[in-house]
Amino acid sequence: MLTLIGFKTPRRWAGFFFILPCLAVTTMFFIVPLLMTVWMSLNDWPLLGHPSFSGLKNYADLFQDASFWGSVLFTAKYTLVVTPAIFLFAFSLALLVHRGVRFVGIFRTAYFLPVVIGMTTASLLWTWLFNDQVGIFSAVLMDLGWVDEPVQWLGETNSALASIVVMVLWKAAGFTMVILLVGMQAIPIDLYEAACLDGAGWWAQVRHITIPMMRRTFALALTMSFIGSFLAFEQFFVMTRGGPFNSTITVVHWIYRASFTYFKLGYGAAMSVVLLLMLLVLSGVQLYLLRDEP
Amino acid sequence: MRIPFSVRTLAAGLAAALLAAGAHAQAGQEITFWIRAADAGFVEPLVKTWNDKHANKVALTVIPSDDFVTKFGTAVAGGAAPDVVAIDLIFVPAFAQAGQLSDIGAEAKSLPFAKSLSPSHVRLAMHNGKQYAVPFSAESSFLLYNKALFKRAGLDPNKPPTTMAELEADAKKIAALGGGVKGFYFSGACGGCNIFTMTPYIWASGGDVFSADNKSETLDNPALRNTLAMYRRMWKDGVMPGGVKTDNGSNFISPFFSGKIGMQGTGAFAIGLLKKDHPEIDFGVTPLPGEKGGSSSFAGGDSIAIPVGSKHKKEAWDFITWCLSEEVQVEQFAKNGSIPVRADLADNAYSKQDSRFAMASAAMQTGRTPYSVHFNQLINDPNGPWLAMIQEAVFGKGVDVAIKEGQAKFRQILATP
Repeated sequence: MLTLIGFKTPRRWAGFFFILPCLAVTTMFFIVPLLMTVWMSLNDWPLLGHPSFSGLKNYADLFQDASFWGSVLFTAKYTLVVTPAIFLFAFSLALLVHRGVRFVGIFRTAYFLPVVIGMTTASLLWTWLFNDQVGIFSAVLMDLGWVDEPVQWLGETNSALASIVVMVLWKAAGFTMVILLVGMQAIPIDLYEAACLDGAGWWAQVRHITIPMMRRTFALALTMSFIGSFLAFEQFFVMTRGGPFNSTITVVHWIYRASFTYFKLGYGAAMSVVLLLMLLVLSGVQLYLLRDEP
Repeated sequence: MRIPFSVRTLAAGLAAALLAAGAHAQAGQEITFWIRAADAGFVEPLVKTWNDKHANKVALTVIPSDDFVTKFGTAVAGGAAPDVVAIDLIFVPAFAQAGQLSDIGAEAKSLPFAKSLSPSHVRLAMHNGKQYAVPFSAESSFLLYNKALFKRAGLDPNKPPTTMAELEADAKKIAALGGGVKGFYFSGACGGCNIFTMTPYIWASGGDVFSADNKSETLDNPALRNTLAMYRRMWKDGVMPGGVKTDNGSNFISPFFSGKIGMQGTGAFAIGLLKKDHPEIDFGVTPLPGEKGGSSSFAGGDSIAIPVGSKHKKEAWDFITWCLSEEVQVEQFAKNGSIPVRADLADNAYSKQDSRFAMASAAMQTGRTPYSVHFNQLINDPNGPWLAMIQEAVFGKGVDVAIKEGQAKFRQILATP
């Protein structure tokens, strides 16, 4: 039987049994929910009530839903701002803590600490830091005499976006820093020694050795950061609730509203499928652009 | 004669089993009860009192107010609804229509004080001729004002505004005091807060948000336009603090505690809170006025219901009946600064001590409450059309654009089943 399905040697079916637990978990927690989501998207599926098959109606409605595409544009804008910001900041931190100088462990820990706080907790913390009545930022600016009245950090679209970007930078840069640090430390030290002997300074070594040798690490860090940013939800839900004027609603927030405010699980599922396809395409493009040169 | 070991062991085992069974019978049933966080202050002591006196115990779960509909809806969908739920009365029609609440009409009608129950609560509990909830807590909206600021601004603290024009003029005079003092406050990023405190101006001025049959919107009316215009002028003139634009309700009453806010709309809960925690603030209450006089109020609060699927319906109804008893309505609610949901108990020993409670109770009995199965999507949703209209009108492009956009979105949602 095993021969018939291609397992000609004991070694092959031994390999299969080794990956079986992982396959089972992936099937149970990814493939099955994915198939269920696709099925739900083909139904008019209310949270309270009975579903009925509706074919591609949810997708037809979705492609005419200006609010959804508005949220896609906003999410893309946020992603294009925050992803390079996190990357550049994390790369700078990684360069700083790469060398084994004294107390470097303390600095690495300090930069990584915000990562372990949940995004919702971090968002609540920064909501109060930005608060005009009790927040420290407005208080400091007023004490310095730079402003006469408390600043409404979350009161305008651009300042709200900037405030959230700053919070996410503080929270997430440490994780990207660790990924980049691992990549940096995998570069053979001989290359730096040879470059040093040839008279290359610090910046020349970064440009000609560190950056080229970390291409794959960059691809990983950027792809993870990109996907994470495109799936942003908690920070906008907690800090702005999609305001002001519904101008900071992300795609996932819209999926949440459709499913749990409007109780339209089928429509929310259709949005989720479209989002998944968008991310697959964008990630593929990213990985292609960052592939190793032939 | 020596009793064999096996017999002694058997006897001991039987005795232990009988004791455990007896203890279990005495312990009673556990009833799960969900409330929203806004009610925790008066419900937690209420539940403790019940548990101290009764064999059936109530296990209380407090849900964040903003997430209550989502959490209750998903629990119902997942078959994990509680035995009893206290839910904002405006959400009862939606859950009744979805068939998720038990019909308790017969039980409600059998109550000796049935006719004294808050009429708004009872009206919103009805669906297709059946009753799915009874009143649990009452909140009426009115205008709260700082008498000390009135005096400082040269206004008579015993003559609060009786028209919208007077309100606006008084707010401007108070804001002119400067030093961080502002004349008016409202939560500009909270839909529910504004249906509670802004709609009475519209009603008192002869307008409304919904049609009489609740099936269409009536946003384009002079009363609503003038109310939004009044808010816009107060914002543009700096009569309100900057924080109103982003306040999602988390600062609904706290700015008033600073003593630097002249007036704001609020609910009956504020009276007890101010008396207990801020006795230094000399405050008054008055009905929310219309354009040319008259007044109105939003009759709000929570209703209490038994979700379908509850395994302890009889025990749940016993708890609900106790909550509506004179003992609880007066000695728990009224004593701690809340309004009874029974008109026959509005005039009680505690309300007589402070005329402000009497005003709040009177506002409750004559107050109005919109009925809609789409209330959450239209009004309470922070991204919904009601709040979007208010924000556009007050802080954005203006009243005309706001009403036009609001009408389109209201109609889209009202058209869905």
